[in-house]
Amino acid sequence: MGKGKPFLEVLASAIHEDFRFPFLELFAFLYALGTFALANFTVGIYSQAGTNDAVAYSVTSSLIGGSLIIFIILVFKNVAYGLGSDLEKGIIQTYFSYPLKRRAILTAKLLSAIGVSLLLFLGIQISAFYILAPDIVLPQFGTIVLTYAANLSYPLFISAIMLLLTMKLRRGGIGLVIGIVLYVAMNIVSSLAFFVALATKSAIGLQIISVISPSYALQYYYGGLASVPEFSSVPWTPTLSETMLYVGGSYVIVAALFILGYVYFSRRLNL
Amino acid sequence: MKRWINILGRGGTTLIAISLALLLVSLIPQIESSSGSGTDGIQPGEVKIMFSPGTITPQQEVHVSFTTEGTLSVYLLDIKVGLQIINGTFDYGFNSTDLQELLDNHPEQIKWEHEVVNTTYEQNYNPSKLMNATVVAYNQGTEMVMFDFDISLKSSLAPGDKVRTIAYFTAPIGVIMAIPWFLNVWKQRKHK
Repeated sequence: MGKGKPFLEVLASAIHEDFRFPFLELFAFLYALGTFALANFTVGIYSQAGTNDAVAYSVTSSLIGGSLIIFIILVFKNVAYGLGSDLEKGIIQTYFSYPLKRRAILTAKLLSAIGVSLLLFLGIQISAFYILAPDIVLPQFGTIVLTYAANLSYPLFISAIMLLLTMKLRRGGIGLVIGIVLYVAMNIVSSLAFFVALATKSAIGLQIISVISPSYALQYYYGGLASVPEFSSVPWTPTLSETMLYVGGSYVIVAALFILGYVYFSRRLNL
Repeated sequence: MKRWINILGRGGTTLIAISLALLLVSLIPQIESSSGSGTDGIQPGEVKIMFSPGTITPQQEVHVSFTTEGTLSVYLLDIKVGLQIINGTFDYGFNSTDLQELLDNHPEQIKWEHEVVNTTYEQNYNPSKLMNATVVAYNQGTEMVMFDFDISLKSSLAPGDKVRTIAYFTAPIGVIMAIPWFLNVWKQRKHK
């Protein structure tokens, strides 16, 4: 028997556990509804530069804004509770009896927990966006992809931390709580960094945050809150290449954390 | 085989869920943002700006209705016009020469045009990107034309017709995909 079939067995089992009926349907419904309900094209009219890519960025950000929390809930549930309960109940030991390397088992679990969720989120959001505004989506597809990449980096960063915590503690509850705290904390910290930047005329805080959450760098690339006179003096306007560097850098950190997770799962996880 | 039925079935139920969401979105009523209506006359060779709400978005729809006694050309143009003081009165400063120049050199800015001849003409337009909407009436004939008009700008979450059509297509596909899975689940429950 090749390695493909056991891998598919583990993947099918993981998908079956992560997306029990009617979870998949419920989240698909929420993504579709949320995308239309939260899409705000009016922000495009007032986008600072008024260029096509600035409009595409503003509208994409408004689309992502509300639906991202639904995606995060799904991924956090799958990573913390999915893997956590497999570790707690000993299901993972059953997987270890398959003729598969441990890293292949973790890949199957992550493909189910994050990959399927991501596919559902991006598939529904970009299709809905295309239904609404095909003449924005097609010419500005690069900007839209960059906006999604920048916004998804931090949730993936938290997911990697949750994965490590879940494996270390062998239960998902604490990892889930820490994940939620980290997500909320970033909003608070970014707000503080913004006001510090205004007061000190130094954007170092914002730049540090952008390394793990590059959506801020992208936001400042497109003018940040420059339309609000009180907030127009943030001394930071990164160039496009700098912004892409922040996005790339953040994914290097995310990849490093996941590799750490793979190393731990393959070599250090004793059950 | 059973696994394929499961995959197809769950894909089908997901399609049903998405189409339900689309149907719900299409049922939310539109809000009228701005409008203009009345009776007017237009001299031969004259161009009138009938409606210019500024920038409109894909979540908005321009509804136009004209009833004419004579022949009148109606255009929806992607141009920004503003009121100016010309000869002591407020005017858009857009005349037949400007319109002709636009028709000849910038046809991409003409979103639709229609010649209304002694009849009632209705049209809805939903943009696929941000654009500056301006409804223009032009009398190309030699006699004055009287007309009734009713133009409005409506806002909604999504273009209702488009979203409803997609929902009508995806829901049956989803049901067909899900039927074997539903039967399987039902048989298993009955067996238990």
